[in-house]
Amino acid sequence: VSSLLAQRPFAPRDDATLLSELVELSRHHLASCPAYARIWPSFGKVSRVEELPWLHVGLFKRLELVSGAAGTRRERILRSSGTSGSASKVRLDAASSELQARSTAAILAEFLGDERRPLLVLDSARALVGTELPARLAAAMGLKPLASDLRFIVEDSASTPVRWEVVADVVRGHRDVLVFGTTTSLWQVWGAAHIPDAAVEALRGCRVHFVHSGGWKRLEAQRVDRATFDAALLARTGEGSRVIDFYGLAEQVGIVFPACELGNRHVPRWVDLVVRDPYTLAPLDGEAGLLQLLNPLALGAPYHSVLTEDLARVGQGPCPCGRGGKHFELLGRVPRAEARGCGVA
Amino acid sequence: LPDVFHYHARGDGKSVALALPFSLDEIVVGWGAVRDRALRAVPPEFTRAEWAYLALFLDPAALRAVPERAFGAGQACPGEIAGVARPRGQVAVWLPSNVSLLGPLTLVLLSLTGNPLTFKAASEGADLTSAFRAFAISALPASPLRAYLEREVSVVAMPREDTRVAALARSAMVRVVFGSDAAAAAVHALPHPVESVGISFVDRHSEAWIHPARVDDALLLTLARVFSVYGQAGCTAPRRVVLLDASPDEAGRLRDRLAELWPSVAPRPPMHIATQNVMARQWAAAEGWDAVLSRDHAAVLAVGGLDHPPLDAPWFLGVCAASSAAALRQLPAHTQTVGLAWQGDAAAKALEILTRSRARRVVPIERMHHFLEIWDGSSFWRAAFEELEVGS
Repeated sequence: VSSLLAQRPFAPRDDATLLSELVELSRHHLASCPAYARIWPSFGKVSRVEELPWLHVGLFKRLELVSGAAGTRRERILRSSGTSGSASKVRLDAASSELQARSTAAILAEFLGDERRPLLVLDSARALVGTELPARLAAAMGLKPLASDLRFIVEDSASTPVRWEVVADVVRGHRDVLVFGTTTSLWQVWGAAHIPDAAVEALRGCRVHFVHSGGWKRLEAQRVDRATFDAALLARTGEGSRVIDFYGLAEQVGIVFPACELGNRHVPRWVDLVVRDPYTLAPLDGEAGLLQLLNPLALGAPYHSVLTEDLARVGQGPCPCGRGGKHFELLGRVPRAEARGCGVA
Repeated sequence: LPDVFHYHARGDGKSVALALPFSLDEIVVGWGAVRDRALRAVPPEFTRAEWAYLALFLDPAALRAVPERAFGAGQACPGEIAGVARPRGQVAVWLPSNVSLLGPLTLVLLSLTGNPLTFKAASEGADLTSAFRAFAISALPASPLRAYLEREVSVVAMPREDTRVAALARSAMVRVVFGSDAAAAAVHALPHPVESVGISFVDRHSEAWIHPARVDDALLLTLARVFSVYGQAGCTAPRRVVLLDASPDEAGRLRDRLAELWPSVAPRPPMHIATQNVMARQWAAAEGWDAVLSRDHAAVLAVGGLDHPPLDAPWFLGVCAASSAAALRQLPAHTQTVGLAWQGDAAAKALEILTRSRARRVVPIERMHHFLEIWDGSSFWRAAFEELEVGS
């Protein structure tokens, strides 16, 4: 597992192999995760990905799901940001982590190229310590195979100012650099921040590839849209700089969906998706609904097939950007209303 | 100043004079007028279920009964006056952080005490108390109730740490707090007048107990209606249904029929509730419940035992078959209400529940949400008065 990783992510799809791997993986989790088996007590012949078992992402906020196969080497727990309440926790394992790292690197290389460049991370190295790994740092580490050097450029993980002297020092010696941060932090400490003149001067001579993820919810509240965001970042960098926004979730670690030039999200050949009606769960074709994501890289816990709370629409026909395979349009989170009742917190 | 006296028979041939700043009858008539307007349209801030309940609550006969239950039957001609009940003064109400009907309901009940009222609402989110006050003022002609609402009732949205919160506690003669145990303790720990009264309504558990012989579609529809106002987020909504002295198969049949009837009571929910219920069904299954989704994912209905873990999922309702003894034994100590559908002597059964458990209320299922002057084991309405002795 998974033979599909042997080719580039947007090479022609082999859906039969992917389905076969997902069926096998589902059987593995049903046999070794009792809670999963209680949720899906019957599992018969499957001819389409739509028929495979799945878990709602919210379960990972409430249960620690682990598939207890012999020989599984457990790693840290991946912890989501928990911006909408409690955090998801996904138990990582060594075998899956290796596959997931290969997957992330391959997908990002399609958008950033294979060339190795210094990677500046808007986070603190201190956040790497501990039994839980924040999902934002896991995302940053996904860029590591494309990095010649790795620098953490804020003192603290909580939106503290950038160490601009470090940035200027790195940038002066290189034509290209990668910068990773969550969407919110990249805006707060870089896009909307004062940058010292020395750093601005250094940045003007450098092609900066900003990569961010984490969603727009907080910035929407500040009335910062994508165009404003991109313009602010690119205004103080060299020609050829760009901003790449990718979508991913802790419960699908290893899979990232950078927006292509046309804003579409492309599905690697080792990933599949289903869009479902929120009221019947029936699969939808071309209509907006709940996004379900599947990949065969999750061996230690049943997060290989998850129903998200994100709305999406499957793209019809090939994307003009030229990438092959399936693609989808991400439409945002399921709208929420305020909690009603007198059960109080 | 209170200058209108309403007399109530104490039961010993003597009377209590309830001193109010207005004629209670004019206030009740005013609420009746608000109710008439309420029946025409639902304001956008409220759900249909909330508005229907509120309109029901404004029934003038029910409101007139409040002081009678607290102080005795009303009297046109009093006997010897042995006591006077006088409004304590400023009442401060800390509302729950959820969007809740408790504010409007408390406003209506406390308006009958004549005390000035200040409601502390959450700083973010919809505020049904302000919306209801504004609706009532707009619905009323110049009248004592309108004047009272305009001059004596205020709603202030502010965060917990706002300095005005401490000022409110300092000025209030009655503090009514809806919130968690910790929130209530924090409010009562604020400096306050030594002679003031503090009343807490903290989060509680409620259940519906059903005798198998009482199960029919009418009862199940009532159960669905009671639950579907706020789901588990209502502290008087059943968090589980106990089918007493029945078999698991009977509990399963009750659950299945409830699922069939659910769409006739609960409309299609917002999308985030539908998807949360998809999650809750899987969570319940993982915890060993036999759980199904009702149509449109409006609720999760599950069969299990009393030992199955409760789920903190607003639209999850578990059905358990259990013996009466086990149901009593496993009734949580923080139980607020048991909604009872009993075959036989319901009063005796209620007495058994109240004396052998920590439950505060036993009422028919259809009355589980009825919020009245006695709540959580205390007469908070009566506590809004000072009771003065008149010697002879």
